Amino acid sequence: MITARNLTVSLSGKTIVHGVSLQAKAGALTAIVGPNGSGKTTTLKAIAGELASKGDIAINGHDIRALEPWQLAIKRAVLPQAATIAFPFTVREIVRLGLTVGPNRHAERVDAITADALAAVDLAGFAGRFYQELSGGEQQRVQLARVLSQIWEPMLDGEPCFLMLDEPVSALDIRHQLAIMQLARRYCEGGGGVIAVMHDLNLTAMFADHMVMMKGGRIERAGPPVEVMTDDAMEAVFGCRMRINGVPAAGVPFVLPHTASA
Amino acid sequence: MSLNDAVRNPFARGSLLMRSGATAGDRTAIARLTLVVLVILSAVAIALSVATGASDASAVNVIGALLTGADDTALSMRDRIIVFDIRMPRALLGFLIGAALAMSGAVMQGLFRNPLADPGLVGISSGAALGAVLMIVLGSALPAGVMLALGAYALPFAAFVGGLLTTLLLYRIATRGGQTSVATMLLAGIAIAALAGAVTGILIYMADDKQLRDITFWGLGSLSGMTWVKLFAAGPIILIALLVVPFLSRGLNAITLGEAAAFHMGVKVQRLKYTAVVAVAGAVGASVAVSGGIGFGGIVVPHLLRIVIGPDHRYLLPAPALLGGVLMLGADMLARTLVAPAELPIGIITALAGAPFFLWVLLRDRTRNGW
Repeated sequence: MITARNLTVSLSGKTIVHGVSLQAKAGALTAIVGPNGSGKTTTLKAIAGELASKGDIAINGHDIRALEPWQLAIKRAVLPQAATIAFPFTVREIVRLGLTVGPNRHAERVDAITADALAAVDLAGFAGRFYQELSGGEQQRVQLARVLSQIWEPMLDGEPCFLMLDEPVSALDIRHQLAIMQLARRYCEGGGGVIAVMHDLNLTAMFADHMVMMKGGRIERAGPPVEVMTDDAMEAVFGCRMRINGVPAAGVPFVLPHTASA
Repeated sequence: MSLNDAVRNPFARGSLLMRSGATAGDRTAIARLTLVVLVILSAVAIALSVATGASDASAVNVIGALLTGADDTALSMRDRIIVFDIRMPRALLGFLIGAALAMSGAVMQGLFRNPLADPGLVGISSGAALGAVLMIVLGSALPAGVMLALGAYALPFAAFVGGLLTTLLLYRIATRGGQTSVATMLLAGIAIAALAGAVTGILIYMADDKQLRDITFWGLGSLSGMTWVKLFAAGPIILIALLVVPFLSRGLNAITLGEAAAFHMGVKVQRLKYTAVVAVAGAVGASVAVSGGIGFGGIVVPHLLRIVIGPDHRYLLPAPALLGGVLMLGADMLARTLVAPAELPIGIITALAGAPFFLWVLLRDRTRNGW
């Protein structure tokens, strides 16, 4: 379990996150949603240990500030929003970068996990391609494969591992959005935990167990989507009057990911 | 793609190297093969460098005579001096300097995540030049005892200290709250270089004719005048850096995805940056101190190797070191023999041969690199 208590983050003198407390349980997908600039990514970065912060952050009961970078790296992996790379790495080489710490670094496992991770993000056969020649969505999936391979087993030494994903489906087409969210769910079913910053409320409703709604650096609502997704919450958080489960006026087509089959 | 095309351009898309299957995208094999070839080339280059020169002294004769314990009189003293005291330290130190400059380029490019970074960016060159000029112009003002103790080391020592101090200063400027910003370091480096250049300019303005000549000679850069003394002074620093830096390879690989990503992957980012900067400052400072300002392929050599073996620093640190050494000795052999018994400045050779080749590579790979 990841626990943050009274988390406050300031960047260049400006307080971005004000006393946020949240829990991300193993076996559950925790989604952080909220408008732009609400502190979602900053909260995620602080929990990842990447930003200096005040308050308590613990992963499986261990204070993250007392852990060495490699000790953190075998328990949690982080997918950043965007990554540009200046050098001509192949897809295989990028994924392999994830396999330098923990039990997966052993040579006999590297090739197998690399192939499995690429297959998991629907990029089997892409190992020999150059990263820079791929589309934005394909690059995002390569990065996800790298992050997955870093903590390939959802449980390590009896403790759960955590995927921290910052907008994991932002650049993906609808089929791959569903595939990646299902992948995250399977990780939870394996005993691990997932924290994802999300913009798509429908996918969040479909896949999240716990939903944290942020606004202005504070948590506005938190709980299972079925409880927190109300007309009032939408207006309070996003400043936009919307009806949950409302059907639009006739004439304008709409399509929901809920209806996808296979 | 036909086999013919694949052989002609083994690095193109869909070629033999990039074939699909279990090893697609894996350049480990070609990287290891490249290292083996480079080790052999290095041995050949050092041997050739000892064997050739403006004089007809035969290294084979000299070494053969030593091994068989033949009478010294059979061999002229002149040949022994040429082979042992002139060519050998020159070959060994030349190789080390080429290795230090090329590997430092690869380290800086990895650290700054920019294929155009080179050791000069962190202030080493400008600081070293300032140190050298300071010693030439103001050295006479130092207490006689100090100058006597330093002896022939005075100039290299000043250049080395100048480069190292500038680098550490830049590092301090760019570090706030335990975080070093490589972008700040890059920008501050430009300012510090301008400042060091201005101070150097003032000193040159103050210098007398003899000092001016010394400054010019030092600035031209050359491998001539390498002695065992210089080898023992600069060699250990360069060797330590060459041996330490490969341990940074995994960290440098991770940092190509960004400092945050490197931390996420378990790298002690701050320690990596500090070690890399100090190692480069030491290696390049020591090189510049004994050889002066040899403009060399800190950018070109790593770039060429990246095309062949990829950007994995487990190979992209040792390979440029070896190729840098080989090319430096190759250029030096041309410099010594083209207009023998005179000698061309080695910088002319490296620029004349290297620049057009580099341009050709850039144009050829323009699409892949997205330029």
